[in-house]
Amino acid sequence: MQTKDDNLMHILCEYNNADSLIYGIGNIGRQDDGLGWAFIDWLEAHQICPKAETMKHYQLHLEDADMISYKKRILFIDATMKEGINSFHIEKVKPKMDFSFTSHAISVPSILATCQQCFDYLPEVYLLEIRGYEWELQIGLTLKAKENLDEAIAYFGSVAA
Amino acid sequence: MGQKLVIDPVTRIEGHGKVTIQLDDNNQVVDAKLHVVEFRGFEKFIQGHPYWEAPMLLQRICGICFVSHHLCGAKALDDMVGVGYSKGVDMLPTPEKVRRLGHYAQQLQSHVTAYYYLIVPEMLFGMDAPPEQRNVLGLVEANPELVKRVVQLRKWGQEAIKTVLGKRMHGINSVPGGVNKNISIAERDRLLQGEDGLLSMDEVIEYAKEGLEIFYDFHEKNRHQVDTFADVPALNMSLVDKDGNVDYYHGNIRITDDDKNIITEMDYHDYLDYFSEATEEWSYMKFPFLKALGRDAGSVRVGPLARVNVTKSYGTDTPLAKEALERFHDYTKGKANNMTLHTNWARAIEILHSAELIKNLLNDPDLQKENLILMHSKADWTGEGVGVVEAPRGTLLHHYKANQEGNITFCNLVVATTQNNTVMNRTVRSVAEEYLGGNDIITEGMMNAIEVGIRAYDPCLSCATHATGNMPLDVSIYDAKGKLFANKRR
Repeated sequence: MQTKDDNLMHILCEYNNADSLIYGIGNIGRQDDGLGWAFIDWLEAHQICPKAETMKHYQLHLEDADMISYKKRILFIDATMKEGINSFHIEKVKPKMDFSFTSHAISVPSILATCQQCFDYLPEVYLLEIRGYEWELQIGLTLKAKENLDEAIAYFGSVAA
Repeated sequence: MGQKLVIDPVTRIEGHGKVTIQLDDNNQVVDAKLHVVEFRGFEKFIQGHPYWEAPMLLQRICGICFVSHHLCGAKALDDMVGVGYSKGVDMLPTPEKVRRLGHYAQQLQSHVTAYYYLIVPEMLFGMDAPPEQRNVLGLVEANPELVKRVVQLRKWGQEAIKTVLGKRMHGINSVPGGVNKNISIAERDRLLQGEDGLLSMDEVIEYAKEGLEIFYDFHEKNRHQVDTFADVPALNMSLVDKDGNVDYYHGNIRITDDDKNIITEMDYHDYLDYFSEATEEWSYMKFPFLKALGRDAGSVRVGPLARVNVTKSYGTDTPLAKEALERFHDYTKGKANNMTLHTNWARAIEILHSAELIKNLLNDPDLQKENLILMHSKADWTGEGVGVVEAPRGTLLHHYKANQEGNITFCNLVVATTQNNTVMNRTVRSVAEEYLGGNDIITEGMMNAIEVGIRAYDPCLSCATHATGNMPLDVSIYDAKGKLFANKRR
């Protein structure tokens, strides 16, 4: 488990309301890219934060800046290939234009910055990154990615219980 | 000794390609090519699947123009089950109008994406502006109110797509012979009147008009550049109705020349009688051409610029777009418009045209009727179908054959970007000669000009090669010895 701030332990408890959004990013057809969706599946299967809006998409769109402007807090969950992350990592996101935009992808900090600039509003946003290893055209997480997902689930599950 | 330039990847397009430019000893352009280096797959792996899966699976070629692929496949399936246009059967009014609604909504959304996200930043900041500025995030910082409106416009398009197809991406609506649902009064009213966080139809049209004004303003201030940048000849191709006006969903394929004379008009089911495809070892993307005219003279342009060149007019039920089209036609005094950057003008016109068409459809009570499917029996089965629509990027064709068990045995996809392959290569050559030729120093802005030329076509290389991967696109410049002189990869 890796967090930058152990005070984040409480955050999932605060998401059980209609003002919150939990947003899984990824593609279950590309192995470990499905980690973000798998986390949402776990939430839904165990009825954790049932009042929060949950969402699963392949990638972020600029319009998501509009969508988050209607929410108080948002948790994004995405797979990561960052070697510095052993299992998972959660961090509060600061708005930042990082010029990552293509018509297929944009970063969470850029979405938040766009929300701030265009809609004059800054919700509380966290990004949960879970380490993945394989991204080929295949359904199913690798064993190591599944272990990382389980670690994240154990962490948040213990908090939510 | 000369040099060879490489732009690799070409950015802000869909897919992975690269440009190579060969210079001679005097730094004059001797060759320029757009290479498409993605891997093909969709035509092959669909084989063996049940025919009814094709419109669902093949739309996943693309995350941008998936509705076009879905509808093209649906039209082919109508043929296969024996109630399609190949048998002279017209679709029932309600399913045809529901399909059209989804189609126009996607055109609006796709054009808004290409125009505002990929092209307008360059129009406002200039081709020479730093890369970190000339993109939509630069636009967010410079003009957040404009981006807010663009986001709301695209969101409206997505909501309209979701209303028709059930999901904002890769939804399903069409079934063989019709559609699986109509549009309820509540759904219609939501799109027409808007709600908190969703524009009304009239606001969509207002914002679409603003998009056109942005082009007019840009054109006024940069007339020489806009009119002279890559003025390349090509035949123009589009689906047209019986009056010779563009029909994005159905019609004959019409091809016109520089004087807007009709070169060929065909029932699209006969496309193989008219078209052939050439290949080159340096690109996975084929080069279609009219057999009768040969590879060079018979290459066509498709997409917004081609459509506004081919169409005689728009209907009186879309008065704002009709007026904009007349202004466009007046500019070249009856001749075809070959100015590549005018594609963006055409795209802005089509955003407005789509919005007005959508408004008309939403006010049509046929959308609420219940007769959704043309019934068919096993005896009607033909086992072969061809579907063609005008996708946002141009004429899109799906052709399937299936065996008696209903499993697909043949699939051919001819997508808009493939049709534009030759004219895009001509554009690269033209821009390279104009912007790079004779210069001792190649700047980032010069290299970007090449990308601007390609981007005007809004090419989707993933569609064109039916790719199965996430591969970005690159520009290289080589000297006469083959040594890499400059390279661009972001």
